[in-house]
Amino acid sequence: MPKRVAIVGVGLTRCSSWRRDVSYPELVYEAVSAALQDAEIGPEAVDAVVYGSMDPFDGLNAPERWCVDACASAGALNKPLLKISTGGTTGGSAALGGYYHVASGMFDVVLVVCSQRVGETLDAQRVLNTAVDPVYERGFGVGAITVGAIQAASHMHRYGTTEEDLARVAVQNHDNSANNPYAHLRFKFTVEDALASRVLSWPLHLSDCCPSSDGACAVIFASEQKAPKLARQPAWVRAAGQITDNYFMGDRPWAEDWDSLAILARRIYRLAKIDNPRREIDVAELYQAFSIQQILEYEALGFCEKGEGAKLIREGVTAMGGELPVCPSGGVLCTNPIGASGLIRVAEAALQVMGKADLRQVPNVKTALAHAWGATIGFHTLMVLDREAP
Amino acid sequence: MTTEQEEPLIVEGRWDIPYRHTAGKAASRFLRELKENKRIVGVRCPKCRRVLVPPRSFCERCFVATEEWVPVQDRGTLDTFTVVFEQFLGMPPPPYCVGMIRLEGADTSLMHYVSEVDMSDLEKAKQNVRVGMKLQAVWKDEREGRISDILYFKPV
Amino acid sequence: MVRRVAVVGVGQTYHEGAKNTQSYYDVVFEAATRALEDAALEKGDIDTVIASGWDVADGRTLSDMYLVPAGAGYLKDSAKAAEDGVLAFAYAYMRVLSGAFDTVMVVAHGHTEHPSELVSNVVFDPFFFRPFGASTITTLALQVCAYAHKYGVTSEQAAGVVVKNRRNALDNPYAHLRSGVSVQDVVRSPPVAWPLRALDCPPRSVGAVALVLTTEERVKRIRPEGVAWVRGIGWAVDGYELGAADLSRLSSLAAAAERAYSMAGVKKPVEEMDVAEVHDITSYHELMAYEALGWAQPGGGARLLEEGVTSRGGKLPANPSGGALSTNLHAGSGLLRVAEAVLQVTGRAGEHQVDGARTALAHGTSAAAGPAAVGNCVVILGRD
Repeated sequence: MPKRVAIVGVGLTRCSSWRRDVSYPELVYEAVSAALQDAEIGPEAVDAVVYGSMDPFDGLNAPERWCVDACASAGALNKPLLKISTGGTTGGSAALGGYYHVASGMFDVVLVVCSQRVGETLDAQRVLNTAVDPVYERGFGVGAITVGAIQAASHMHRYGTTEEDLARVAVQNHDNSANNPYAHLRFKFTVEDALASRVLSWPLHLSDCCPSSDGACAVIFASEQKAPKLARQPAWVRAAGQITDNYFMGDRPWAEDWDSLAILARRIYRLAKIDNPRREIDVAELYQAFSIQQILEYEALGFCEKGEGAKLIREGVTAMGGELPVCPSGGVLCTNPIGASGLIRVAEAALQVMGKADLRQVPNVKTALAHAWGATIGFHTLMVLDREAP
Repeated sequence: MTTEQEEPLIVEGRWDIPYRHTAGKAASRFLRELKENKRIVGVRCPKCRRVLVPPRSFCERCFVATEEWVPVQDRGTLDTFTVVFEQFLGMPPPPYCVGMIRLEGADTSLMHYVSEVDMSDLEKAKQNVRVGMKLQAVWKDEREGRISDILYFKPV
Repeated sequence: MVRRVAVVGVGQTYHEGAKNTQSYYDVVFEAATRALEDAALEKGDIDTVIASGWDVADGRTLSDMYLVPAGAGYLKDSAKAAEDGVLAFAYAYMRVLSGAFDTVMVVAHGHTEHPSELVSNVVFDPFFFRPFGASTITTLALQVCAYAHKYGVTSEQAAGVVVKNRRNALDNPYAHLRSGVSVQDVVRSPPVAWPLRALDCPPRSVGAVALVLTTEERVKRIRPEGVAWVRGIGWAVDGYELGAADLSRLSSLAAAAERAYSMAGVKKPVEEMDVAEVHDITSYHELMAYEALGWAQPGGGARLLEEGVTSRGGKLPANPSGGALSTNLHAGSGLLRVAEAVLQVTGRAGEHQVDGARTALAHGTSAAAGPAAVGNCVVILGRD
């Protein structure tokens, strides 16, 4: 039985298309200082550091080297530091890393830091293309948008989801990001506006796609002994995990069902003893780089039956004020510093449980879910946070 | 189908990815001082009082913001160095000397080239470059706000 | 009561200068398969996989998409530590210790598909370090210069490390370079980034190494004898600003060692360790490691070597496998030290076995990304 671990502090930075006011270490320092302040601890109180970023998005190999001391003086104090990099799930994987550092019993207070400066990349798709197998597939100009488009086209074909449904997802997230001072895109629009925006890769319009963002995030995990001293209401980790599907998307041609996420969700719900996720989860921070993914995620996570994901969005079930609000933060669709986005989901879920989500707070949150996906849509991470220790 | 006689294939790859890098608060000021005032500046940490060059927005040991700007001399001492003789792909052509230079007034050292030294072969390099040698910056006339506004350091 | 964790399987490939018939993840598959065979386990027995390495070096963003399945990770809970495999080992250890998983596979690899100094050059910031060609070798050279100058260590003394390790590799059938060298060979080899000469530096090897860790309960069922228990572990990082550091000492290694010794209850390492595998990322760095590991006073590393303490027949043989100077996997030299230490305490190191080895120290540097040997990990393994 793993030891009980809780999140006791969160630090976010303002995200934008290019934080040209700060160097990389300065950006990370912003997030880390905020987290230390949130938990009311100084750098010496940090026992270990986990760092996540997706290289080479920042034009840097291993930014945690340059930024080591922005992580609570980790280098100056010769702390243990571990770098984790798993693509889009990096933030979720780094959170898992922090969790296991504490759950092992070896460390009491662990700082998890993630960063990305997509704004310093002049051509993000070219970077994403470097993930594609150079022997078989790199020559085809495949990037993330094409994959999202395939998911959308398949879901529309099999389940009758429409472009309007996609637009509704975008509208809902943009409505929410207006409440989030750290979000990148903060403007509202209507379904009509969305449908009128240009098509990037059919059926995805500009409104259906995440931005490229600069940003950093820091989250502090603490042991059972330390957590109650560091936070009035810690966010306890009830269950957490990751799943790794294989690389070749052609091995799993049914793009409209996100099996790998469904499998992970079942494992996590079993660990967390969640029988009815729609009823038992109070808020979910999901990772939707493209609007269609939110619909697929509803289904894979068991919030509704297969193929019914669009119904949830049409009926307002996942809007603020709905039965299960999704992404009060505005989600990845409004803010995407890739290597940090997964950690931001965890941070936002933690803020909800801790009651510190300000204008984007959902009332009476006991249980929150944070998700991230990555790779050729085959990596997922999930973390269930709760007001009570497991 | 037999595969015994077939040559295995090697597929070339190359990443040609452009970036734009943000210098941030501290480095921007440092680089601007190089360009406009032909001088080198550092920051002093309010806690440990070290003068840090190159400057940074926070002291890495004390984890506090550094806002006090301090000019330092453009001459100093060579703390350590290496002379590169090998041509690595994408790296400068050899021979060249890279060292850490402690400028007068600074508590940390700055990486830069050491030049105007005969290092045409190893023996000459060993004779002519030594830890502790005194060096002086050689500046560019037309400066751009880059570390290369100092061309290199030469022995005095 | 702290859960005890043991290494129950080791797999490595023969390490070579090139393996033109295998992709880099095929090589990982080979090592992982060998580790499973060694542990008499099947892929279904593996609960979680931790891969290692750097995407930029692999030339594949998200390299773990290829590495994890090669490590038996399909549909499993996995992660990639963007580090040398020695830190993936640390993470794997924590995963098992937590109780969430029983059996972990750790994989690491090395290849020559990338230009190493260019890849490490882009670790450095573009303003103050990158323009000078700062890279792994050049910053290691700066460190070596500082160390050698401070303590008067000569190139001949450092060459002694190369002679020792290259001789040791003759008894390691998996090693890449298996030919002895003399002190003269080393000090006459062409300078690369002086004071480092070609033979002071490790080669670039192609190969992979995999380890399987599990819990005490499972060990009883899998392999009641012949496992290596993790008795202590510690890791630490150094700062980035080379100009603010005392380059003459490996402070992160000293911190890592202190943690590992403390956990293992080791007070007198030279007496209590029977064998060590240290990360000789350059010849001089092995001497620096002796000091950071507390086996010698600062500056005393060369003397320890000259007295024969770390020779094969000495009190604390170091690198009987031949070290990184004989086989250098860019993301796996550190994990290879752990693997070799496991082989030693389980009596399976063949011709390079140190007789009666019961306790071993393994030290790895997560080096290929970063200035001057900045990240270090120490693992102490024991037969009981």
